[in-house]
Amino acid sequence: MTLVDFPLVAMAAMACWAGGSLLRFPTRRFPVLRISSYLIMIAGTLLLGWFIAAYWIALERPPLRTLGETRLWYAALIPVVGFLVEYRWKVGWLKYYCMTLAAFFLVINLASPDVFDKALMPALQSVWFVPHVVVYLVGYVLLAASSAAAWHNIFTGFRSQTDRQGFSLSHYLALLGFVLLTFGLVFGALWAKEAWGHYWTWDPKETWAFISWLAYLGYLHLSANKTGPGKLQWYLAISFLVLLVCWFGVNYMPSAQNSVHSYQPN
Amino acid sequence: MSKVSCGWFEDFGSFRLSSIVTLLVIAAGFIIQYLAGGEGVPVLSWPLNAVFIAVFFVLLFLLGVAFRNNPFVVWLGGIPLGLSLIFGIAFLSLLGGVIPQGGVSGDMLSGRLGVNRIFSGWPFLLTVFLFLSNLGLAVVWKTIPFRLSNLQFMLFHGGFWIALASGLAGAPDLQRLIIPVYEGRQNSRAYIPQENRMVQLPFSVYLDDFSIEEYSPQLVLYDPQSDRVIPGKPASGVEVGKGYRAVWPGFEVRVLDYLQHALPDSRGNPRAADPENGIPYARVRISADGKSVDRWLNTGSPSIRPGVVQLDRYFLVMFPGTPKVFRSGVVLSGSRGNKPAVLEVNKPVEYDGWKLYQMGYDEKAGRWSQLSLIEAVRDPWLPVVYCGFFMIMAGNAMFFWKGMKRGGVV
Ligand code: HEM
Repeated sequence: MTLVDFPLVAMAAMACWAGGSLLRFPTRRFPVLRISSYLIMIAGTLLLGWFIAAYWIALERPPLRTLGETRLWYAALIPVVGFLVEYRWKVGWLKYYCMTLAAFFLVINLASPDVFDKALMPALQSVWFVPHVVVYLVGYVLLAASSAAAWHNIFTGFRSQTDRQGFSLSHYLALLGFVLLTFGLVFGALWAKEAWGHYWTWDPKETWAFISWLAYLGYLHLSANKTGPGKLQWYLAISFLVLLVCWFGVNYMPSAQNSVHSYQPN
Repeated sequence: MSKVSCGWFEDFGSFRLSSIVTLLVIAAGFIIQYLAGGEGVPVLSWPLNAVFIAVFFVLLFLLGVAFRNNPFVVWLGGIPLGLSLIFGIAFLSLLGGVIPQGGVSGDMLSGRLGVNRIFSGWPFLLTVFLFLSNLGLAVVWKTIPFRLSNLQFMLFHGGFWIALASGLAGAPDLQRLIIPVYEGRQNSRAYIPQENRMVQLPFSVYLDDFSIEEYSPQLVLYDPQSDRVIPGKPASGVEVGKGYRAVWPGFEVRVLDYLQHALPDSRGNPRAADPENGIPYARVRISADGKSVDRWLNTGSPSIRPGVVQLDRYFLVMFPGTPKVFRSGVVLSGSRGNKPAVLEVNKPVEYDGWKLYQMGYDEKAGRWSQLSLIEAVRDPWLPVVYCGFFMIMAGNAMFFWKGMKRGGVV
């Protein structure tokens, strides 16, 4: 399985998400469609999961090196958060935001395809590579979902003023996301010690990871200090933008010229 | 938090005073930095830094225990100040994350304000100092009296305090030296990049062998006029090897034969050779408009001219792949006797309190480099910082559990 097959897989996954979502409309009249709607949406995500596994095997290295490869993981994992939230907390709307976000990532990848490249520079060949990146990925995924929930709360919650459930949802997703961000940061430090000789060098990427971590640390303390839920939703909605800068933007900063963390061969 | 309501202490519960104090501290930092002519904070090395941390900790502890209800102390250890400082530190980190760090600043003013050295400058360290006071008090209050239900808080906040305080205070004791050593030679002198001088090491490094393994080479079209390379579109296979096919506008190239490690024999034909000396050879068929030619390509080495094919104004060339592994076989000797070791990226080796890292090599020579750059690191504070890290991770795991459990009652 190589990137030649990617457009087909991506289209099929998006078609599954869209088809499954549309199937929800007639379910009120035909309850049998309910289950098939879920199955179709989940099939889209499974398809992506299968593609990642096959691509991993073909690459002979974890497909976690380039931004395009990480976008692939986000596209597969964000809908999973939506499905799990529905399963666990019976909140159905989040999954639509998640699938939309995932489709957005797939479209970026379709527009600027990666080159197939097996190379994994020596610094990345470490037992820390997969845990560090995967923990960060899942953290970002949860925070993206938290931000989506916060936007939803901003648009609907203020009108009804009763949506406690929506507030808790964005809160707990942010809390879990923060936990993973913290693990990612500490794993990163432990790995840096093995690979580069020091656990923290204020490299631009490290600095931005620290700033995003502080942003969510600020959130938890604002919420521990009884800040109103309305303000917190705005805070969460916007914090994710800081994360996006950390993830995509660092390479464009003036400070990035001597970063050890750009793995993008140009 | 106790209710306070006398005079301007009323402000203590609010963010206003905290934000103003944070801003003042940052401003004071920049003023001191400016007056000091851009010099960083004077460094305290062992044992003064340890004394400093110990005294700081004891003072915080006494302050927290003896003046628990004093409105000023309550404010100093409270969330509003903590939050303001978190945002203050985030702001300073933002400066450090946008402005290139470490270089010499061309601009006089920014040089004197130290914005190119944010993380060792006065504004940052003053803010962090106040932050550590705030966090330390919060930890003392949650620790005394001891309650098991506060364990997660203690681990998380205490761990962060320990890691941050010891990481910053211990920085002057961190030694990072570069040992350049040539194949078949020994070196016991190292270079300190920041101070631009050489020092004598308590041990020596003998480089027995330096070697590099490479990924598969790449077939590209080189345009000498614009000095650009044009990669082809792979049509079958994903990396150069037998059966690989790539197309460029107007022609296609197919690899008929491929040898990863080969050397030319007396007639110039490639023969398989050992991995140490052999270089990649590929026999390619170049086809255009129904005609085709077969040629050998190779990546070249110091003693072998790269085999390329000229196509009009372009050259079809085979570039060596990027390094997959580079390693130094060394023998370390000193008071601990002789120790043979293999250094690779991500696989440092300990010797006599030092940790040795494979750092680099002569990149111009690439695979044929005779030089290996080895970094020697000594960080006596590392165990303390790691203790903080592990406390953070333990608290973090408990926090995760709490989040999952509490999340259930939404
Ligand atoms: C600026 C200094 C800090 C102070 C004064 C402070 C104080 C506090 C206080 C009083 C709470 C509420 C505890 C509770 O509700 O039981 C809290 C919660 C928390 N703090 Fe801090 N903290 C500080 C810094 C930090 C740092 C550096 C971290 C991360 C390593 C951190 C992580 C947390 C977490 C995860 C919570 C739990 C929030 C929640 O339960 O919703 N804090 N902090």
